Amino acid sequence: MIAGKQTSGDIQASGDIRVRALTKTFRSSTRRPGALGTLRSLVNPLMVTKTAVEDVTFSVAPGELLALLGPNGAGKSTTIKMLTGILVPTSGEVSVAGVVPHRERERNARNIGAVFGQRTQLWWDLPARESFAILRDIYGVPEDKYRARLEEFDELLELSTFWDTRVRHLSLGQRVRCDLAAALLHDPPVVFLDEPTIGMDVVVKEQVRGFLKYQVEERGRTVLLTTHDMTEVSRLAERVVLINDGRLVMDGTLEEIRRKFGDTWLVRATLADPEAAVSGLPGIAVVQREGPRVVFGPDGPDAPTVHQALKRVIECYEVSDIALEEADLEDVMRAAYQGAGS
Amino acid sequence: MSAVPSTWRTARITPLGELLAPPRIAGAVVQLTIQIVLVTALWRGLYSGTGGQSTAGLTREQAVSYAVLAVLATRLRELDRYSGRDTVIQHMHFGTIVYWFLRPLSPQRYYALRALGDQLYGLAWAVVGYAVCLAAGVIQPPVSGGAAAAFALSLLLGQWILYYIMLLIDQLCFWTLRNSAAMLILIFAQNLLSGVYAPLWYFPDWFVTLSSFLPFQATLNVPLSVYVGRIPLADVAPQLGLQAGWVALLALLTRLVWSRAARRVVSQGG
Repeated sequence: MIAGKQTSGDIQASGDIRVRALTKTFRSSTRRPGALGTLRSLVNPLMVTKTAVEDVTFSVAPGELLALLGPNGAGKSTTIKMLTGILVPTSGEVSVAGVVPHRERERNARNIGAVFGQRTQLWWDLPARESFAILRDIYGVPEDKYRARLEEFDELLELSTFWDTRVRHLSLGQRVRCDLAAALLHDPPVVFLDEPTIGMDVVVKEQVRGFLKYQVEERGRTVLLTTHDMTEVSRLAERVVLINDGRLVMDGTLEEIRRKFGDTWLVRATLADPEAAVSGLPGIAVVQREGPRVVFGPDGPDAPTVHQALKRVIECYEVSDIALEEADLEDVMRAAYQGAGS
Repeated sequence: MSAVPSTWRTARITPLGELLAPPRIAGAVVQLTIQIVLVTALWRGLYSGTGGQSTAGLTREQAVSYAVLAVLATRLRELDRYSGRDTVIQHMHFGTIVYWFLRPLSPQRYYALRALGDQLYGLAWAVVGYAVCLAAGVIQPPVSGGAAAAFALSLLLGQWILYYIMLLIDQLCFWTLRNSAAMLILIFAQNLLSGVYAPLWYFPDWFVTLSSFLPFQATLNVPLSVYVGRIPLADVAPQLGLQAGWVALLALLTRLVWSRAARRVVSQGG
């Protein structure tokens, strides 16, 4: 592993991201129903306006990894496209490393790196290393720094075993690792990753997570990550921004999200007396009963913690067996998405 | 800060991809050879019944030279980008077009560099093919040194026009997401109206008049006619002026379309 902070690079700009009251609406034509409607739409198209992102405000500090989460169609990718300068916001303010992305696309391009899931920026017919050389020239990376960075990426991602293979012949995991290297070759202070590990096996996922962690902790890069992989979120992100239907639902730490949406648990008890009468306790409800097996769950806003609940159940009932179930991050996010959507 | 000059490497992408795939090169050699043999046989056969008389102002040798040069010229724009998932329509389809807008090299310049590389590589093929055909006596040398120079200039302008026409068709993808139908129509129109299928001189007057209002005849018919002497040197200047006019007009149009395309990539780029 490479030791020391910023060994081969020199991140120039401060990589903060600021987003204020960001809104994006799309206007598109739609067909009217029926054959007559279709003909009418040809002459007089029916225009509809869709709001993809509405009044979103958040910021990311330099050297921070923020997970931008939300269900499909929540507005995550649209937000990232505005931050990368591909999309022009309808209203609101965006600043990435001190640059307004859509106003200064080329300047912004030097400050950012991006990987969009399974979409590769590498040239399909060329060996990956040839793609790196092309990008080196496009970004004007000096030869010595280029070599040092390639060496560093190789050490972290084991690229040299396949970087002379044509991209079309690489596996998904190999290709995404090359894409990550390609996105960071010019040493950008800010990195946007839109579902970078989608479809990868667990070993490669872990390697990529290690790489990202290194980039944030050791190299001081600011990373904005979107993913549906909650293991990834729990391993990499301390802070999470949750959006749904284009609106910001929550901006906080994982702990805060757990407290808000995931303070849920189940206590599964087997009663010593199958006929014993069971009723709810303060803040504890009977969720299910089948003979001696009773499932207790939280009831209302004053529900106790899982450990308090366990204690109370044992105090009130004679049990022969008892087990706890706490919500994992996936359950928490499911509750958050559903809660936000309702 | 503008992109550094070393971005020339982007021009090598398609040629390098082809050079790394020997079967593709072998295929191109076979295809070109077959086309040249067939075209030569066709035009020699057509002229065999004329008793050596010239037709439409072209002798047999002029007609064969024109037709073979037209085949060689097609190599200038027919590099295979499709198998490399590198056509604009494929970038739109796979959503990878976004990367064109995320680099410190504008999409316009990137596209132009790629096209330049493709056309220079195609030119190398055409030059080798030309040398072989000239040595084999299939085609005649230019009628004069002046004709050779005028041909070179006219071919350059013609390829420039062709670049803009191809660019316009690719830009269409930003609005339609599909350009295959337009591409088929374009290739047919280009081949028919530029003289690839047959020299324009054989077509009726109304057809020649009609094609004079379109840019296609300026891409190939003008330089090839200059080469074989069908357009005399004295008449070359207005033709070059017309070609330059098309270049200027199409440059303005494609520039305008690029600025609008940049706003479209967002909704269709995935």
